Amino acid sequence: MFPDMTAEPWLILAARSFAKHRLEAVLIGNAAAALQGSPVTTLDLDFMFRKTPLNLTKLKRVADDLGAVVLKPYYPASGLFRLVRDRDGLQFDFMSKVDGIRSYQSLRSRAAAVRFGRATLLVATLEDIIKSKRAANRPQDRAVLPVLRRTLDEKVRLEG
Amino acid sequence: MKKSDSKAKRGTALRRESDRALVQQIRRLLALPPSKRTNFLRKRLPGGGSTL
Repeated sequence: MFPDMTAEPWLILAARSFAKHRLEAVLIGNAAAALQGSPVTTLDLDFMFRKTPLNLTKLKRVADDLGAVVLKPYYPASGLFRLVRDRDGLQFDFMSKVDGIRSYQSLRSRAAAVRFGRATLLVATLEDIIKSKRAANRPQDRAVLPVLRRTLDEKVRLEG
Repeated sequence: MKKSDSKAKRGTALRRESDRALVQQIRRLLALPPSKRTNFLRKRLPGGGSTL
């Protein structure tokens, strides 16, 4: 049997746990692009957050709550914190710096709140995701950019 | 000459069809509420690679 491709259980878990521990983060990357209507796929959920001592404590509490651990897989200055749970491959990446995004506050001010279960997740706009992928300019970013741009064109057309 | 013309025409037709299919897929997704656009997760396979 093939594994289920729906991210809904992970999104509900994230929304519930962030709300419980009052951790504020904005969903970015391909997961956010998919929620904004782009036909793209991903292996994990990426979030941008503010790296403060309080948020790092909250992140640890979220990890404990989910039965996961927080890893810092790259050099300390990278600002990446990876929350992983071995038993089902759950992986949430938290970044304090994102290519093409000037500040967390500006990203947050444009993000949409999407309800999953009883809580909501902040989801970056397609414009911000495109900006970020263009700035990152890795092969995987260049590969999805035409699809993201096409989705944005369709959204603009629909919204008149 | 004729052969390469027909090959080019086939290529153009394929690109057009592929583009049309992409737009249809995007429109289907946009017709859903964001909370229902959740079928995007790939799973890691043991030994590398991933699957939908």
